[in-house]
Amino acid sequence: MTAALEVENLTKRYGSLTAVDDVSFSVETRETFGILGPNGAGKTTTLEMIEGLRTPNAGSIRLLGMDVLRQPQEIKERIGVQLQSTTLHAKLRVAEALRLFGSYYRQAIPADQLLQELALEEKRDAPVAQLSGGQRQRLALALALVNDPQVVFLDEPTTGLDPQARRNLWEIIAGLAERGKTVLLTTHYMEEAEELCTRVAIMDHGRVIALDTPDGLIADAGLEASVEIGGAGEVLHRALQEAGLPARLVAAGDKLVLHTSESSKVLGEVTRIAGQLGMTLDDLAVRKATLEDVFLALTGRQLRE
Amino acid sequence: MTMLARQAWMETKLFLRGLDNLFWTLAFPVFFIVLFGLLYGDTLWYEDLGVRAIDHILPGITVMALMVTGMMQTAIGFSEEREKGIYRRLALTPLRPSAILGGQILHRYFLVLLQTCILFALGIAAFGVRIAGSGLWIWLIVTLGALGFLSLGFLLAGLVRSAQAANGITMVVFFLLLFLGGVFFPREMMPGFLGGLSRVLPSTMLNDALREVMILGRGIGAVWQELLGVAGWFLVSLLGAVKLFRWE
Repeated sequence: MTAALEVENLTKRYGSLTAVDDVSFSVETRETFGILGPNGAGKTTTLEMIEGLRTPNAGSIRLLGMDVLRQPQEIKERIGVQLQSTTLHAKLRVAEALRLFGSYYRQAIPADQLLQELALEEKRDAPVAQLSGGQRQRLALALALVNDPQVVFLDEPTTGLDPQARRNLWEIIAGLAERGKTVLLTTHYMEEAEELCTRVAIMDHGRVIALDTPDGLIADAGLEASVEIGGAGEVLHRALQEAGLPARLVAAGDKLVLHTSESSKVLGEVTRIAGQLGMTLDDLAVRKATLEDVFLALTGRQLRE
Repeated sequence: MTMLARQAWMETKLFLRGLDNLFWTLAFPVFFIVLFGLLYGDTLWYEDLGVRAIDHILPGITVMALMVTGMMQTAIGFSEEREKGIYRRLALTPLRPSAILGGQILHRYFLVLLQTCILFALGIAAFGVRIAGSGLWIWLIVTLGALGFLSLGFLLAGLVRSAQAANGITMVVFFLLLFLGGVFFPREMMPGFLGGLSRVLPSTMLNDALREVMILGRGIGAVWQELLGVAGWFLVSLLGAVKLFRWE
């Protein structure tokens, strides 16, 4: 495999704020690479520098073997971008928009084919202003694919969509990787990163704080599983704190969460302590750790606050 | 089809789908021609020259239509599309910025020519206006005016941050140029101070040049001072527009 993208020491400052702070990573050809982080972490700024929309203050970006700053026209021919929100002329119609954007490139996929792939055939003659949120996102994705790009950039592709529309879009995005495209996406949904990405970079305050496969990230943080106790109360909380369990104890609302790689041992101890206190455990769950837990463990904050 | 022609055609297609656009560019100036034609009809405004109200108003409304299409719709339309992020999405494609701007300018220029033809046809057919001057000179003056107001439109779009602000400032400038520019009423009616201000406005100079050629049948030599003034406005606006231009 060869690297489709190599980013080195990328930095972007706005006045005294460093939005992207010395970020380096590389993305292999045919990989689906995710940048996960909360709002304001610098995900979009990073993506937009790679796409050529913003100029970095420092660092280098090689995309498909080309310097982004030196060969922007050639790069534009070969990448496709879905912005966080894509606005088109309100009176433009769906199929017309696809043909228009297709005409901007040396080669273009026929509008009919894209309409079919993205389930927009019924809306072919509808003005873009009349599309639903999910349809609008699918059109934005169709426009990103119109030049049959080698690398596809998706900036929070499913933000604001209902679960059904999100599932639909996930299937389409998974299909891109199967057809040999390199995909770079940002998201603040950990399920999305876990579902779609071969590797994930976790960003916070402009920096990459971890980078690995989703499973690798979870394993590295020593978080195979979490034991969650609902409606636990102050007494149990204190007792568990004093018990010296092989787990990281976090209180989230009225819920106690124990992150651990020894779930059966922790579960046994929790049951024993609760029994000693004469408490019932009506709301107890053990689940596999997620990237959400990794983010919490790395930063002490929730991904979405 | 070249990229530029395709962009211009797309702009025109989208323009025609907007009822408000058709109102401002077509219904609005036509309404004034019909109104003045019916109200004042054959009333002589300049008896010594035999010039009727409608003869005087037609060139004025032509200049007004130039301001609407060239300046007003450019400033408001461009600011709106900029604010919505339409140009941001285009910046990700290989389409050259020059093709985007060129397409808009070409579209508006053809619209201006079309407007002029429609207004002239209406004046001639419905109200018996006789055009004394050469079509070539009229075309030249309209073209210079279109360039000037297009630049002014892009300058106004560059001056403001939001589409709402563009709307406000453009309306103020438009009505100023309209009423002080002698579009409707003879400039001689204005008091000293306003008269002086009026004399240096591009709308005034265009009105004067167009009237001399259309009504009195003068050649370009008779109005070179006015045209030089309009060219000056064009160049200054163009420089300002280029300097303040923003895609985002």
